[in-house]
Amino acid sequence: MNARAARPQRTHRSGPRPPSLGSNLWTLAALLALLALSAGSALLKLGAFNEVANLGIAIVKALLVLTIFMRLKTDNALLRIVASAGFAWLAVLIALSLADALTRVSLLPPW
Amino acid sequence: MNARLHTVPEQFDDPVQQREAATLGMWAFLATEILFFGVLFAGYTLCRVRFPDAFAAASRHTDMLLGTIETAVLLTSSCAVALSVREVQLGGRRLATALLALTAALGISFLVMHGFEYYAEYEEGLIPAIHYTQHGVYAHGIEIFYCLYYFITGFHSLHVTIGVVLLLVMAWRTWHRAYDADYHTPLELTALYWHLVDIVWIFVYPLIYLVGRAG
Amino acid sequence: MSTVELASPARSYLEEGYGLRSWLTTHDHKRIAVLYGIGITFFFFLGGLAAALIRWELVTPAGDLVSAETYNKAFTFHGVVMVWFFLIPSIPATLGNFLLPLMIGARDVAFPRLNLFSWYLYVVGGIFTLGCLLLGGVDTGWTFYTPFSTMFSNSHVLMAVVGVFIVGFSSIFTGLNFIVTVHTMRAPGMTWMRLPLFVWSMYAVALVMILATPVLAMTLSLIGLERLFGVGIFDPALGGDPVLFQHFFWFYSHPAVYIMILPAMGVVSELITHGARRRIFGYRFMVYAIIGIAVVGFLVWGHHMFVAGQSMYASIVFSILSFIIAVPSAIKVFNWTATLYKGDISFDAPMLYALGFVGLFMLGGLTGLFLAATALDVNLTDTYFVVAHFHYIMVGGAVMAYLGGIHYWWPKITGRLYSEAWARFAAILMFFGFNLTFFPQYILGWEGMPRRYHEYLPQFQVWNVLSSAGATILGVAYVLPLVYLAWSLRYGARAGANPWDATGLEWQTSSPPPPHNFEQVPVVHEGPYAYRR
Repeated sequence: MNARAARPQRTHRSGPRPPSLGSNLWTLAALLALLALSAGSALLKLGAFNEVANLGIAIVKALLVLTIFMRLKTDNALLRIVASAGFAWLAVLIALSLADALTRVSLLPPW
Repeated sequence: MNARLHTVPEQFDDPVQQREAATLGMWAFLATEILFFGVLFAGYTLCRVRFPDAFAAASRHTDMLLGTIETAVLLTSSCAVALSVREVQLGGRRLATALLALTAALGISFLVMHGFEYYAEYEEGLIPAIHYTQHGVYAHGIEIFYCLYYFITGFHSLHVTIGVVLLLVMAWRTWHRAYDADYHTPLELTALYWHLVDIVWIFVYPLIYLVGRAG
Repeated sequence: MSTVELASPARSYLEEGYGLRSWLTTHDHKRIAVLYGIGITFFFFLGGLAAALIRWELVTPAGDLVSAETYNKAFTFHGVVMVWFFLIPSIPATLGNFLLPLMIGARDVAFPRLNLFSWYLYVVGGIFTLGCLLLGGVDTGWTFYTPFSTMFSNSHVLMAVVGVFIVGFSSIFTGLNFIVTVHTMRAPGMTWMRLPLFVWSMYAVALVMILATPVLAMTLSLIGLERLFGVGIFDPALGGDPVLFQHFFWFYSHPAVYIMILPAMGVVSELITHGARRRIFGYRFMVYAIIGIAVVGFLVWGHHMFVAGQSMYASIVFSILSFIIAVPSAIKVFNWTATLYKGDISFDAPMLYALGFVGLFMLGGLTGLFLAATALDVNLTDTYFVVAHFHYIMVGGAVMAYLGGIHYWWPKITGRLYSEAWARFAAILMFFGFNLTFFPQYILGWEGMPRRYHEYLPQFQVWNVLSSAGATILGVAYVLPLVYLAWSLRYGARAGANPWDATGLEWQTSSPPPPHNFEQVPVVHEGPYAYRR
């Protein structure tokens, strides 16, 4: 990666090869289908599963955009780590502050 | 061609290193963006835990149809900008420019639709501090929901606006042959930014528009 | 360490242009480091003046020198300036900016223009903060706790918040630059496990900067909006949750402590290996400890909220995690000590600072364990014990390391040698002044004196007088380096490329270095700290 001077100048063409037209269009079709599924499931009475479906579908959609449109699938592995770090840190923020919010009990004064 | 004359800044050895640095820098920036928006989502989560019913009631005040159309528009625009990068990599210029212009147009239409939403909410008295007329047991919870709604969507719309400007600049420069198969890093980075704006909205959609629809 | 031949000294980066304009438009990381150095020195002494005001007020139990409002504004200004305009940028933006590219054998950071931009953001943020001071200041404490900051305070909260918001971006961009630079700009042969520990600490601190600072920026914007429009999610009167603010604030501000201390640890690793002329003991464990501290540092923020109404179950989790972070910190202290063992120790000024750091950091770290224990913390929260604890980390730790680093690399930065006798005297004076200032505060806190009060019970006066006397000595010890370092700029002897006979790529090029750092790109063949033993 850093073999400067030791290696001759590398070629201009860099980065992942362009994805096929089909993969992009199929991804869009899948995203729109998932959107319809999301909207449809929200109207059904599923109780807690409404939220599971909503968020599950959103995560799948985000992963599609990340891997195909943003080319994380084919690009440098480091970029996948950086992207996951952002989401991981957000998960820490939400999880640990939720740990507080969900377990609060009102303590009565002892007098 | 301009792109062929593109010189590598002096701190880099070669274009490969330059691209690696630029994409890594952009992704690191996107990670900070995830946390910028993430705080608001964390705030949303914690407030919703405290006011589950009010949040459902508030969400039913939003315009689900318009929200769904906006989501579809952003998803399509995301695909369009991805295709335009691909087109530039394959050497196409006209189609790439057209796709970038299409992306920007979709972004603008998103902003316009959102403007209509804001206006409808103003009429309904749903804007805290400016025009808020809700009453009843859920009034406080709904107010908090709408505060978060305006923070999140306002901040997101700001990003869409910046994105549209960047896309128009990219379209202009693509048309004037600034980018080609060998050098198109700025275009690539703009596309990454636009995709992130899309991803944020992917999470806004269920959390703002779809809560309590079945109830 | 490397095979660079020292050619005849080329024009140094300092001689690239003399006008103000050549400095204000520079893209050279070394010049930007110097610009930062000037900025943080200014703010350090400004924040120091506020501290002096606090200590003078506390000489007597009655609040007779300044009014309570002025006192509140003084400690708030002291906190805001010292945290965001001195400590956070101190080592990363000056020594880090200067040394990171040199240490990895690069010509510059990855994004030089962004680097300059981040300095301008720092200046603009600083102007807002100074403007806030001139308009009358802010009295919320540096923590901006709600609902006081949003609903009740009549001071200039918005302006202070804007200043901090802007300077936050400066630190995000610095962090981003460092991460990309370390990843993509290393010289041939400079593998990850050959990086000097200072570079590792810069890398870890950059991670913390880019992942924590956005949370602060957004939280401060929420405060601003809440204050402007009277609606929001933090005000309990409107159904909001002030503890939520504390979660968000400390999600940044606890890792921010590691933004201050990790670079200090990196500097000290360099100083101790040089001062003992030995390889660092347990290099790999030092690296793992740095990364461990950076990551676990994100999981402990709730220990600031044990008495804030946080759920006790969450408190238990945060307490355990806070104890865990003591482990990597202890590994570092053990390894520094082991590095000294059988070393050829020279007590020059940088080494004195480094040894002072190890002792003070240990004392600060161990008292941190007291505060991590939930039951004990209930008694100690918001007492002077906490004040003493974090000053041992931030002043005894970060400032000592910063000054040690400034001395160590001064010949490299300026091309001049400072007066060693004065430097040793100042270092020793600083150590004594520091302990006299802050050790009494442990005792005060233990006896129950609350922090942030402008009056106190007469029984506390003895310790307060001692503390103020120490602060006076400390103040003198801080002014001394300013004088003799400035003196050396003009009258100091010229330094050679490697006056310390130290290892590391930064010593392989001339002092001060040429604009692009190296006459020839260095090739690295072995790990850092290749001293004979």
